[in-house]
Amino acid sequence: MKIAALRGASVLAFLALWQWAAWVPVSFNFPTPWATFLALADLLRSGALLQATATSLQSLALGFGAAVLIGVPLGLVMGVVRGVGRVARIYLDLLIALPTAALIPLVILSFGISIASSAVIVFVFSAPFITMNAYGGVRDARPRLIEMARAFGATWGRLFTRVIVPSAMPMILAGMRLGLSRAFLGLIVAELLLSPFGLGKLIMNSRSMFEHDKMFATVAWTLILSGAALYALARIEGRVLRWRA
Amino acid sequence: MAEPVGIAIEGVSKSFGTLQALVGIDIGVKAGEFLSLIGPSGCGKTTLLKSIAGLNPIDAGRIVIGGRTVSGPGGHEASLVFQDFALLPWATVRENAEFGLLLRGVPPSERAEAARKALHKVGLAGSFEQAYPAQLSGGMQQRVGLARALAVNPQVLLMDEPFASIDEQTRRILQDDLLRMWQEERKTVVLVTHSMEEAIYLSDRVVVLSPRPGRVHKVLDVPLPRPRQALDVRASGDFARLVDELWQILKKMQ
Repeated sequence: MKIAALRGASVLAFLALWQWAAWVPVSFNFPTPWATFLALADLLRSGALLQATATSLQSLALGFGAAVLIGVPLGLVMGVVRGVGRVARIYLDLLIALPTAALIPLVILSFGISIASSAVIVFVFSAPFITMNAYGGVRDARPRLIEMARAFGATWGRLFTRVIVPSAMPMILAGMRLGLSRAFLGLIVAELLLSPFGLGKLIMNSRSMFEHDKMFATVAWTLILSGAALYALARIEGRVLRWRA
Repeated sequence: MAEPVGIAIEGVSKSFGTLQALVGIDIGVKAGEFLSLIGPSGCGKTTLLKSIAGLNPIDAGRIVIGGRTVSGPGGHEASLVFQDFALLPWATVRENAEFGLLLRGVPPSERAEAARKALHKVGLAGSFEQAYPAQLSGGMQQRVGLARALAVNPQVLLMDEPFASIDEQTRRILQDDLLRMWQEERKTVVLVTHSMEEAIYLSDRVVVLSPRPGRVHKVLDVPLPRPRQALDVRASGDFARLVDELWQILKKMQ
């Protein structure tokens, strides 16, 4: 109850600060919250926003889906086969530490200006985190549970599917959540910097037309989208890990 | 029900690097016997138990359970019970009880039946089956660990300080329940413990191991009448004398 009130107050304070910034104004043509809201409604009505969203989500689904489908198994293999883990870790650490955006020109060169290259950027942004978490999850598996399974005569396959993968599941899911937020980041970076499609294109176009209210509306929409996606994933996580309660 | 089998431990030695954990251990566990291993920490009692389970390859000697020489883990004769229970936190009580059978490829309907029986034996039938381990007390978690061990219908139970992390009142109840089950099931039990009372109360014989390197220091017979849980043996003078005798042996070893 108290938390809900605090949350509500923080939203109001944020809107007030925004309103104040538009009044001053902080910069030329800084839109008010209300103007942004109207622009958002307008963009939704015209269909422009939904079309851009559909395009962007395609890249996101492609890139993030590939990151999960490749990253999780790779991380599991890294955790189980020591040599692979030791070698692959170096590249993962590099990918995580380096500014991934620097790879964008390379991706354009290889994949051209297309939705596919946005997807590749999304993949590059999210896959290292997903892989690293799956790897960490395997390494964190309790040795006692493995010993128990061996004592009962577990075959290697059953040990893997029944003990190691479930042990790693909390970390895998946390990695997917982290990866998804990174995927949205990669998506917008890609669409702003390289392949003018979807939401990034809408943001850029609004900016060049000095329609700052539309630009803000698109940014806000992107935030809402990523927030909703992360929330959905967190719900799934809670369902899968209900034993933790 | 499977007939109980004996365990022959002959000239078993084991070292970890330069550390000699066990040297020339000879113990014969009779079929259906309740035998305890006790000794100061570092005496290798858990190492020996794990070697019987096939989890620790031994350097010399051999361990024979029934007619089969132990060469690795997963033999169907023996089940392990762990001090920290080693339950799968993501699995329900019933799934945990079934887990040993699942690992051995037993089909689901048979698993469910055996698990239900085993949970009934340990007093956890019914409403608890769908609970997760984190929702249970330590004593109840160990009942699940015991049910998992019993579900595969082993001839030998290997117990590694199973009640060490359980509060005293619950521990006594579990000890009595264990004695009752042991009498009904006629299994051979090897129990590792650091509690003198527990060793005397439960066992037919207590093997005292000396530390660094682990050797058999002494074997103490426990001629207390059974069923001990019904006869209130804990309150008897003989019980106190035997505990004291064990204490004198352990004290002199320090």
